[in-house]
Amino acid sequence: MKSALIWDECFTAYRFRPDHPFNPKRLELSVSLIEALGLTGGPGVVIVPPRPATDEELLRVHSPEFIAAVKRLGREGPSAPDDGCAWGLGTDDNPIFPGMHEATAMVVGGTLRAAEMVMSGEATRAFNIAGGLHHGHHARASGFCVYNDLAATIAWIREAHGARVLYVDYDAHHGDGVQALFYSDPEVLTLSIHESGRYLFPGTGFVDELGEDEGYGFSLNLPMEPFTEDGSWLESFSAILEDACEAFRPEVIVLQNGCDSHALDPLTHLRCTTRVSEESVRRVVEMADRFCEGRIIATGGGGYAIWQVVPRAWTLVWAALSGQPASNAIPREWLERWQGESPVLLPERLRDDPEAVTPIPRRAEIETSNRTVAASLRRSALPLLRGWSMGF
Amino acid sequence: MHRDPITVTPDDTLAHALRLTRRERIRHLPVVLPTGGIVGMLSDRDIRLAMPSPLTVTDEERTGFLEQTPVAAVMTREVITVAPTETIEEAARVLYRHRIGSVPVVDAGGTLRGILTETDILHAFVQILGGSEPASRIEIALPDRPGELARVIRLIGEELKLNIVSIVVPSLAAQERKTALVHLGTIDPREAVEALEAAGYQVGWPSLDADLRAPESDR
Repeated sequence: MKSALIWDECFTAYRFRPDHPFNPKRLELSVSLIEALGLTGGPGVVIVPPRPATDEELLRVHSPEFIAAVKRLGREGPSAPDDGCAWGLGTDDNPIFPGMHEATAMVVGGTLRAAEMVMSGEATRAFNIAGGLHHGHHARASGFCVYNDLAATIAWIREAHGARVLYVDYDAHHGDGVQALFYSDPEVLTLSIHESGRYLFPGTGFVDELGEDEGYGFSLNLPMEPFTEDGSWLESFSAILEDACEAFRPEVIVLQNGCDSHALDPLTHLRCTTRVSEESVRRVVEMADRFCEGRIIATGGGGYAIWQVVPRAWTLVWAALSGQPASNAIPREWLERWQGESPVLLPERLRDDPEAVTPIPRRAEIETSNRTVAASLRRSALPLLRGWSMGF
Repeated sequence: MHRDPITVTPDDTLAHALRLTRRERIRHLPVVLPTGGIVGMLSDRDIRLAMPSPLTVTDEERTGFLEQTPVAAVMTREVITVAPTETIEEAARVLYRHRIGSVPVVDAGGTLRGILTETDILHAFVQILGGSEPASRIEIALPDRPGELARVIRLIGEELKLNIVSIVVPSLAAQERKTALVHLGTIDPREAVEALEAAGYQVGWPSLDADLRAPESDR
């Protein structure tokens, strides 16, 4: 099996401003940890640079007016204080920055490069660590995402190969952009598990969002209670993943690996550990091996505890994807290289210690609530996916 | 409201009306004259209530009844209507007060312009509550006195420059405080939550210390 890590330092140009939570430093930290653990040198492992996405590739999912606005604002800056607002740009979440179009097109091109390698058989797994901009909409930037690399890649796979695509998203935020762009497409099954949108951004991703028209039954959502822990999260995820795969028979899986479900993440309210990243990928790999000859196109995503969580989570993701064992001790040289710069103490183990997790109050209530949600999704979606129901 | 609603005339048969409700999956048919004036409303329930019981007559007799009875014999003649210029809240009050599932929209000349259903009202309600744009949702407890909402908006909108996607303050019976439901157009509302708390407001947002769903007395 061959695995490709899509990486080049040029990815760090996708940077809104110095104090922004979506900080490309996390990419450098992650790749350097992957290297320090020797996970780039194994047999069949290659590091491949990205290439920019073309306008044609962006136009499959974005409007020409939006692309023109991103280009102009990145080149000339805003001509008035609210120039960009109509496109979701120039806000605190998505500030305008010079070279915005080129930087985002490179992220999109990275995921497309990953897909080209997997679809041509050059690699079985490919991981664009800088990708995962799942909030990008047709004509609007949102939630730190300008263009939507995942949607552009799925659209390319559909057009160039006609393959049935399973999109799996375990970022703590709902994958609303990808869902919306394929909401009526029965050849793209989207499955997003996330913290409930009752409070958390983007406020969508409820069980009743099942798709529309031909695509009814092909959008699956598992909204989890705030403060959900590993056990309940993974139980809910597994409760739908396998049956959905059996019914849908994907030919390739696109996987978004946001790691902001971690208890230390400052933007969400979940209580998961690094186990969620490692186990989720392991289960998706199992499905890929069973249904689609192992083919997975993976990306990064959210993750705002950039020192203590993201490098470890994405190293575990890469190890699980490429089938390499990762030892638990974080190399001394990596800790020494970064500790000086880090405002917090860096963990010395790759995996969180399950014993160190303090149980939260209301655990039983949260688990029951999540089980009800998973059961309700199974009840409403599986008959549609299996074609038993006409969708009335 | 739905423009160009599906209608029947007073002379149409009940069989025709029943077929329309089934085919179009609707429950209410305005009854209009060829000139466009509305003279009644016919619901699927009106038809079913008028039908002879299957226990006392044969299927053929029931079919015959439907084929022979005109809409005019069964329709409700005192029609409750709203004007096209009516507000959504008044239209909702009309449905609620009269316990009806839909209301025809009729202009000053008596011509039918459309029909407004319960589902339309629910859809408007969902939009009013701000469910259609990406946002974080917070609740803010406000003392019920002038200036509090203005202060909150100044804090969020002017000082933090966050976009308020929607804001709803339900007006319930007299109480000491109200709760504002606010959708903020950001993935990261930490600053807003901190600033509001620092200004003395209680903010509803997931927290292990305060269980949001517990009754207030338990907090």
